Amino acid sequence: MSQDEGRYWLDRPENVAKLYRGLWIVGVLLVLADLVVHRHAEAGFDGGFGFYGVYGFVACVALVLAAKLLRRAVMRPEDYYDR
Amino acid sequence: MIAELPAGLILVAAGLALPLLPRAARSPVAAAAPLLAFAQLLWIGPGYVLEKDAFGFTLQLVRTDRLSLAFGYIFTIAAFLNAIYAWRVREGIEPPAALVYAGTALAAVFAGDFLTLFIYWELSAVASALIVWAGGSARAYGAGMRYMAVQLGSGMLLAAGAALRYAEAGSLAFEHVGLGSPGGALLFLAFGIKCAFPLLHNWLQDAYPEASATGTVVLSAFTTKLSIYALARGFAGTEMLIWIGAAMTAFPIFYAVIENDLRRVLAYSLNNQLGFMVVGIGLGTDMGLNGAVAHAFAHILYKALLFMSMGAVLLRAGTVKGTELGGLYKSMPLTAGLCMVGAASISAFPLFSAFVSKSMVLVSAAEQGYTFIWLVLVFASAGVFHHSGIKVPFFAFFAHDSGIRCKEAPAHMLVAMALTALLCVGIGVFPGALYAILPMPVDYVPYTASHVLAQLQLLVFSGLAFSWLKRRGIYPPEMRSVNLDADWFYRRLGLRMARALAALLQRLFDAGREASRQLGEAGAALLERLHGSEGVLARTWSTGGMALWAAILLAAYLLLYYADKVDRGFIFLLILPFLIGALGLWADSRRRDDD
Amino acid sequence: MSAEQLPALVVVAPLVAAPVALLARRALPAWMVATAACGFSFVAALALAVQVTSGGAVSYALGSWPPPWGIEYRVDVLSAFVLVLVSGVATVVAPFAWASASAELERERLYLFYALYCLCVAGLLGMTATGDAFNLFVFMEIASLSSYVLIALGRDRRALLSAYQYLVLGTIGATFYVIGIGLLYLMTGTLNMADMAARLSDISSTRPVLAALAFITVGVSLKLALFPLHLWLPNAYTYAPSAVTAFLAATGTKVSVYVLLRFYFGVFGTRIVLEELPMSQILLALSVVAIVTASLVALWQADLKRLLAYSSIAQIGYITLGISMASREGLTAAVVHLFNHGITKGALFLLVGGVALRAGHAGFDRLQGLARTMPLTSLGIVIAGLSLIGTPGTAGFVSKWYLVLGAIEAGRWWLAAFIVATSLIAVAYIWRFVEAAYLAPLGGATPRAGEAPAAMLVPAWILVAASVWFGFDTSYSVQGAARAAALLLQ
Repeated sequence: MSQDEGRYWLDRPENVAKLYRGLWIVGVLLVLADLVVHRHAEAGFDGGFGFYGVYGFVACVALVLAAKLLRRAVMRPEDYYDR
Repeated sequence: MIAELPAGLILVAAGLALPLLPRAARSPVAAAAPLLAFAQLLWIGPGYVLEKDAFGFTLQLVRTDRLSLAFGYIFTIAAFLNAIYAWRVREGIEPPAALVYAGTALAAVFAGDFLTLFIYWELSAVASALIVWAGGSARAYGAGMRYMAVQLGSGMLLAAGAALRYAEAGSLAFEHVGLGSPGGALLFLAFGIKCAFPLLHNWLQDAYPEASATGTVVLSAFTTKLSIYALARGFAGTEMLIWIGAAMTAFPIFYAVIENDLRRVLAYSLNNQLGFMVVGIGLGTDMGLNGAVAHAFAHILYKALLFMSMGAVLLRAGTVKGTELGGLYKSMPLTAGLCMVGAASISAFPLFSAFVSKSMVLVSAAEQGYTFIWLVLVFASAGVFHHSGIKVPFFAFFAHDSGIRCKEAPAHMLVAMALTALLCVGIGVFPGALYAILPMPVDYVPYTASHVLAQLQLLVFSGLAFSWLKRRGIYPPEMRSVNLDADWFYRRLGLRMARALAALLQRLFDAGREASRQLGEAGAALLERLHGSEGVLARTWSTGGMALWAAILLAAYLLLYYADKVDRGFIFLLILPFLIGALGLWADSRRRDDD
Repeated sequence: MSAEQLPALVVVAPLVAAPVALLARRALPAWMVATAACGFSFVAALALAVQVTSGGAVSYALGSWPPPWGIEYRVDVLSAFVLVLVSGVATVVAPFAWASASAELERERLYLFYALYCLCVAGLLGMTATGDAFNLFVFMEIASLSSYVLIALGRDRRALLSAYQYLVLGTIGATFYVIGIGLLYLMTGTLNMADMAARLSDISSTRPVLAALAFITVGVSLKLALFPLHLWLPNAYTYAPSAVTAFLAATGTKVSVYVLLRFYFGVFGTRIVLEELPMSQILLALSVVAIVTASLVALWQADLKRLLAYSSIAQIGYITLGISMASREGLTAAVVHLFNHGITKGALFLLVGGVALRAGHAGFDRLQGLARTMPLTSLGIVIAGLSLIGTPGTAGFVSKWYLVLGAIEAGRWWLAAFIVATSLIAVAYIWRFVEAAYLAPLGGATPRAGEAPAAMLVPAWILVAASVWFGFDTSYSVQGAARAAALLLQ
């Protein structure tokens, strides 16, 4: 594994951080595009500024937090059904 | 001539013939048969009917229209891609079972009546259970048994529903059914089980990940989409489906987030994608139905691609558990890239297939005023990107380096994945081709600036949420675990109850056995005493004894004949000599026996 | 030769062959004469069958005395059907007898065997062809006396005792029959059966006529081994030479069934027998008991030949069960089972004859692993056994089918269930053979000399093939039986 170290661009944490920051920039640009592009609302309220971005972000955070709670309820050892 | 054969028969015949062929010829035949079947479908086109009289009914073995043909096309394409992917699998039950499974599913789609549908429904269930079993492990065996039980149960309900339907409507024709009658309700349940409705779904996540690397790909294509077709045919516009479908899109993604087995993650997302189709069918509008069919078409391809990539990982790395994988992009860059095409497709990135299909369902839901449903669907769209689009490729190919170094996927798998990826992108770039085969005329333009922008916003911020949670350490780590789901009721609770019942029965049985053993032995002894070789009925009688019977019978007859002519003296006079004679003979024989 | 003479020719051929065989005093010419006579009778019987199907009953007045004064030979659909069975089985068994009897009998007695065989065939054919009640008695005695001797020829010492018991009981049966005929002659003044029937219609309920019915019923029941008058049969069949067992099992009791049918339906008439008297109930009860007990007894037998003998008693129960229904379906079933069981049991006893040739007898200890040393024989027994059970695709199924149909037609569902359920006992006793021959390891007592000679296997397999053939092509057996049933119920 050591010989791979540094050979791959993604192995360096600073590159991953660059990607992460780049993604935020893309996100912000996409939200700003709402000001330029005429939004055709499907359900009425989704024409609002940045609706999809906010909804997507909130939804996913909520999803993960809920899943963590779910895990407390349903997680069992891997051989649960084999016992 | 081929055109006149029932659709699907080519695949079934090829599947049955496969084990008889030389090994080298098997894979080419398995790949050629779906192409031939595809050509047959193109040849016969819509409006073709093949009828046959059997069991006192006129059965419609084949009935083609635009709805069934759309499913027919994608089934044959999927069978072809599967054959390429499984090119190296030449032994065992899996290759023939895969072809028979595809063929019977295809035939079921073209069934014009419930009896024909039932027959192929059950046959495809059996063939697919064989594929699960071909997984080979003890877990695959157990999962296959549960799978078979559920699938055959669905078949029973279908048969019962069809019978009730026949009593209600006087016809077995498979047309629109609706929920208005008991027969309709049973059929709905039968289709619902196969479609993995919430709480009826667990056979899917249970069985699919236990099949082999190639087997899971085959399984993912047909069973559930057959039921989507059946729902579209029989229950279009049934409002309950909208709510069921919405629940289907939402709840599996929670499980997908915490599931460790990446093929099981994909099984949950399969369930979630079916939800979109079910909502489209429930809406029942032209656009909703078109969306359901288009999404089924696109879904079969990208889901196959995702399962193929995970199959390749399983083949090379030996596992698909998130806890044990990571960094595989270094060893399998091509597989990683193709997997990401599948991920982009299922996530509905613009220029990828789901972008042009799923949106029809959402638009239709919004148009019909189902705002809450629409919100759920958007949430599920974000969620599916989250787990299928990011989680699966991330944990397999990126994340922390697991240290696994292996070979790139074999060439035939790469070819199959590349072809599938090409179709996914092709549909995304040229949606007109897909729209042309949909059942209803299409009046929908997917590529508007508004739609593209909205979708990109949604996806990018979903991705950001994942990255943010991951970097903050909030994201739940992959853990080796089993997550309880609805199958707990029959795998655990049911098992416990069955054990308790068995213990009770055992006690009752033990008590009863002693009694019945004594009774049975006494009965058997009596039977043998009478009929055994030394028994009274079997032993050789003395001549006098035999003659005695003749006299007794004669006396009995005479008595009976004269019973109403009461002249006892006459009877007595007639019978007496025989009685005396017979007794004499009997006494004589006893004396001779004693000598 | 004209069609009118056929009824006589069928009988005369073996009757003449008997003294010829006797005079030959050598085995080979005697055998050739016997075989030729049987073959001739078979051809004549087939010609008769064709004749009566198209042109109605054929009558031949013996010595040109017109009936009812002279003796009349009268062949209708039913008697032609039985004639074909008897002469056909006789023709198949005759070639078999050459190898079988040569091995089982002393050489200098062989010509006697063939002469007696001809007599027996002639007797049975005569019983079937004649229209005269007393002439029937004469032929019955010819058939019976010759079969007593044939049985006594068996090499087992017990054959003699069995033949003696059969002689005593057969004579009682014949005596009862002749007493019955005497009573009928007293009342009607005629011996011609058709004439008798016409004259009986006014006086059928008188005491002497009823007594005659009782005597004839018991007499003939003895001959056809109806429970509980079957006791002579197991030993007689077990210890007789193989060819004799096969021939008698396929034909002897069947001709007696024919006589019973003839008297019940042709002479006394359905009105008195089935409506005024509880005959059908008695017959039903005896049949049911016969089927159950004989099948169960068969289950415990240690010898395959004896097992099959008891099975015959049960199968006769099925035939009389069909008669007791007295409906079109019931009689069709009875007649068709008479035919189907004849060929099936004939096949089985011929095959067992092959086993006896190689092993000395057919005890189950000799059958362990038999399928390895005698595969064709074992397979034949299994196939014919399936027909005995009544498996679809065999002749036995056809008869059971019509029996069940008759039971359902009469509204007796329990009887239909009973018929199916008792077939399971047959499954059990045939399974005993399968278990011994196919599943058990090769036993020490199992014959290792290989298959029976072709001269025995071929006749046996002709009957095996027939018992499958008539399971598929029922045009002859069922249509013939249905026509006979229609005739009886006229």
